[in-house]
Amino acid sequence: MVIPYVVVIILFSLGIYTVISKKNLIKMVIGFTIVESSLILLLILIGYKPSGTAPILDRQYEIVVDPIPQALALTTIIIGGSVTAVMLALVIKIYKRYGTLNVDELRKLRG
Amino acid sequence: MSKINERLKKLHTIALVVALAVFLLVVVYEIHNLDNNSKRYLSEHYISEGVRETGAINLVTSVLYDYRAFDTLGEATVILTAAAILSLLVPVSKATMLGTKFSIIVYQTTKFSIPFLAVLGVHLIFFGHLSPGGGFVGGVVLSIIPILLTITYGVEFSESKLKPAKKKLVEDIGAIGFILLGLLGVVTGSNFLANGQANFGPGNTGELISAGLIPYLNVMIGIKVGAGLAIIFNSLIKEK
Repeated sequence: MVIPYVVVIILFSLGIYTVISKKNLIKMVIGFTIVESSLILLLILIGYKPSGTAPILDRQYEIVVDPIPQALALTTIIIGGSVTAVMLALVIKIYKRYGTLNVDELRKLRG
Repeated sequence: MSKINERLKKLHTIALVVALAVFLLVVVYEIHNLDNNSKRYLSEHYISEGVRETGAINLVTSVLYDYRAFDTLGEATVILTAAAILSLLVPVSKATMLGTKFSIIVYQTTKFSIPFLAVLGVHLIFFGHLSPGGGFVGGVVLSIIPILLTITYGVEFSESKLKPAKKKLVEDIGAIGFILLGLLGVVTGSNFLANGQANFGPGNTGELISAGLIPYLNVMIGIKVGAGLAIIFNSLIKEK
């Protein structure tokens, strides 16, 4: 039960590394989505119980996993999708105005 | 000199990320230990009493549309806001798109798969309180239909078939309908978005018409998410 948590940490660190080291704006957006998916995985892991079934009680089940983190993961997915869409729209606007996606070149420009 | 500088910068970044990873390791270790010691009273209550109180078999749906329906209203508002921001940022009224010609196989496969997608999406929405699925998932599946039309046939054809004004109308109907259904709880003398407390007739659990307001709330969220995602995709792909 430790290895999935390590996977979460690796994904989170990879996403943060992508955000702070890459120059291309679209790659930075991809980094944000990687961070977000690692957090969804963490939420699912918190709710997991060993040998539990999905929280759909059409019969009597002994062990059922926690339904609250799953509902929160749904919230995360929806809000993450909306935020990614808004980020991509801003990237489109920046490219149309300045003609570049490189962060260093954007910083040299005035305005 | 600049090469060494760049290498140092990269090393600095990697060291920062490794430090963050060690910090996260400590935090996650605490979360992992939390599991064994403490009992979760809230989730135990939902699992043991949720079906009786709300009438929905799917506990995630009962959490989303009954216990925490206010959160769901916030989520729906986020999608509405995203669609509004996108139509503000990319205000292209005349839609054109750089398209490529596909072979006939792609067009025929798209035509063939659209009815199945519609049936799957509607099934996911209507059976949201009985089986895996729900309004959000079904709405995403429904929004794939205009996205597929846009990708294969081009954005002009897609927007002539499903007009943007109509999509906006459908999204608004979803949002307003959700709030009106929530106000029903106030009318019957309970809280906003109350369902189990207000006793809207849970019905026989396991049937399609059961669980009070949850199926109708699912329908509203489904059409809202479907129309909202279609608007978001089309405004991202349009260009002058």
